[in-house]
Amino acid sequence: MSQVEAVGPSRPQTVAAGPRRGTPAGFLALFLSELGLTFRRMRTIALLGVLALVPILIGVVVKIETGDTNGRGGGPAFIAQVTQNGVFLAFTALVVSLPVFLPMTVGVVAGDSVAGEATSGTLRYLLVAPAGRTRLLAAKFAAAMAFCVAATLAVALSALLIGSILFPLGQVTLLSGDTISLGSALLRVVLICAVVALSLAGLVAIGLFVSTLTGSGIAAMATTVGLVIIVQVLDSFPQLHAVQPWLFTHHWLSFADLLRKPMYWDQVWQNLGLQALYVAVFGSAAWARFTSRDITA
Amino acid sequence: MTQFAGFDGPQGEPQHDPSGAQQAEPAGRPYRAQRRTALRVLVPAAVVAVAAAGVAVVPALASEGNPTLPQQTAEQLVTKVLSDRTQALSGTVQVSTDLGIPSEALAMLGHGGLGQAVTGQAAAAGGAGQARQGADAAQADPQAKLTELLAGQHTLRVSVDGPDKQRIALLDNLSEYDLIHNGDQGWAYDSTGNQVLHLAGKPGAPQHRDGAPGLPGLPGTPGAQDLTTPQQAAQRFLADSAKSSDVSVSGTGSVAGRSVYQLQVRPKQSGSTIAAVQISVDSATGTPLAVKVTTTSGATALDVHFATVSFAKPDAATFDFTPPKGAKVTEQQDAAGQAKRAEPARPEQPGAGSRKVIGEDWNTVVSFALPKDGAAGAAKPAPGRPAGLPDALGMVKSLGKPVAGGTLISTKVLNVLITDDGRVYAGAVTPTVLQNAAGVK
Repeated sequence: MSQVEAVGPSRPQTVAAGPRRGTPAGFLALFLSELGLTFRRMRTIALLGVLALVPILIGVVVKIETGDTNGRGGGPAFIAQVTQNGVFLAFTALVVSLPVFLPMTVGVVAGDSVAGEATSGTLRYLLVAPAGRTRLLAAKFAAAMAFCVAATLAVALSALLIGSILFPLGQVTLLSGDTISLGSALLRVVLICAVVALSLAGLVAIGLFVSTLTGSGIAAMATTVGLVIIVQVLDSFPQLHAVQPWLFTHHWLSFADLLRKPMYWDQVWQNLGLQALYVAVFGSAAWARFTSRDITA
Repeated sequence: MTQFAGFDGPQGEPQHDPSGAQQAEPAGRPYRAQRRTALRVLVPAAVVAVAAAGVAVVPALASEGNPTLPQQTAEQLVTKVLSDRTQALSGTVQVSTDLGIPSEALAMLGHGGLGQAVTGQAAAAGGAGQARQGADAAQADPQAKLTELLAGQHTLRVSVDGPDKQRIALLDNLSEYDLIHNGDQGWAYDSTGNQVLHLAGKPGAPQHRDGAPGLPGLPGTPGAQDLTTPQQAAQRFLADSAKSSDVSVSGTGSVAGRSVYQLQVRPKQSGSTIAAVQISVDSATGTPLAVKVTTTSGATALDVHFATVSFAKPDAATFDFTPPKGAKVTEQQDAAGQAKRAEPARPEQPGAGSRKVIGEDWNTVVSFALPKDGAAGAAKPAPGRPAGLPDALGMVKSLGKPVAGGTLISTKVLNVLITDDGRVYAGAVTPTVLQNAAGVK
């Protein structure tokens, strides 16, 4: 790789098109190309559409069944609050979609990111472009994280929209019984969306790693989504009490702690720290695999 | 030679190759993917190793520090606790209870609650407890809610500012339960059903001399109340058991980042299922910061400790509470009314006359006769008593194992003996003590 440089700094740029690799601008170009690749697909749009349907479904059901809302423990979380304030529909929708729908869509996008290219035979052409494998992997991770943000926002915005149509807005009652203004409630929605999107980071890293292992996009997606289900099943066994704090799904619902006054950050930090750990482990595993793998397709 | 596209150069070399192609591999040297893989796999392995080491070392570092503190005798330490004048305090409390069956902790810390706990247990096991829960569900009832503390792990947020202002929040998954006491106002808020219980016009709550929280709306549950802060739990314990117990200072430690003395209380008599109670006392203020109960089998039955604690005055707004919009508010006149209402909630409780206390201190056994349907001389069934109770008792009996003289239901801490002639003996004691108390062999 340094042979070219050894020729001498006076040598003009050999690649005229596009920014130099290795610069932030170069990475940005790569990232934007990955982003376009992800979000221009019909599949991605369809996934986001399905996610947006979840809050609509919940909102309509709650509206219809609104006569009987003081059932304790029945129905999704925050059901009593939703009827009082549409903003809470966003939190309910996130609680409902976080265990299944969000990871499923994220698993599809992350699992397909490398393996899908291999399946369609575009991976080797991608690698001929002036971008190292490490950088390509980082760009794919960043694009998948962008999808996490988009997916979370799809749920939250759709919930806010349908919630404002079906239910009253106004002052929001927190879990601790304190009341805050609509503005600060919306700020909390933004904060919670950020936390939810970040809690999917571990899964993205796992999906990316699985994706580097196989040349079949479907296999990678199925494995990633299957892992989410297996881990959540493990999380429900009381006998595995000692292991459970280390499962990446374990603290997912801790974002509700941000609906208290004052906010309770302990679990949220634990969650984010755990996600960072998963990103470090599976990100480096994906890197080890992808940078040393024979690309044959 | 096959060209493999897109490989980065060897580690450490500047990566400024504008062509990005494969010139790094010298022509003629075969590219060996396996060697590369073997080397690169070391990176994730190292990350895992570092993470595992961090996980193992960080708690060790945190709990490290058995700080060197001036020597103190047990008496000095107990005095320090009893003279603790902490007025303001806030923090997060972790409660971890492992008793086998809920509602027993009532019995463990508040001797008065024994019989109640036993019957509560019988009812819960028989399904009657569920009915009770349902009946109270609409009321944001502190009693039912605090019973949840007696099993599993919970996080509480505690704020105290003098005897007049306390707030305790039970942080559940996706929900919260708040108890607020501010002057003559008492509130309980349950976020699950958006329900409020309001207790006004009477300070009501028994005040601990040092201003520890005495929340309204909790008559007759000293156990549950004492559980809510380590401070209360330890003070009650010290006052109760100084005569019958070996109290010693077992060392120092650290709780919530503060250095503490460990006060260890062991029963003098044999026969108790409780091996030791360890109370961690703040070395500066004398405030108990943690209580840990171990059983004779070596298990930890109860672990209450502050995860974070601050002795600064909490924000006054913490204790303000207005029922949120749309909440269902239940008004309650005073503590007496509360007690009256609570009475039918525990219909299984036998009349006070039928309850006997045998033995003392650690080996206390509470006994009472089971109410029998149609039995001569038995009081008429309490109003609202579930009709299925005899069947429920049969079921409870089937859970226990038959021993000489009756059926024994055994948990980590509490043992319950139901004799064949329908009496119940219960206590945090070994089965032998129960049998002796029952006079069976």
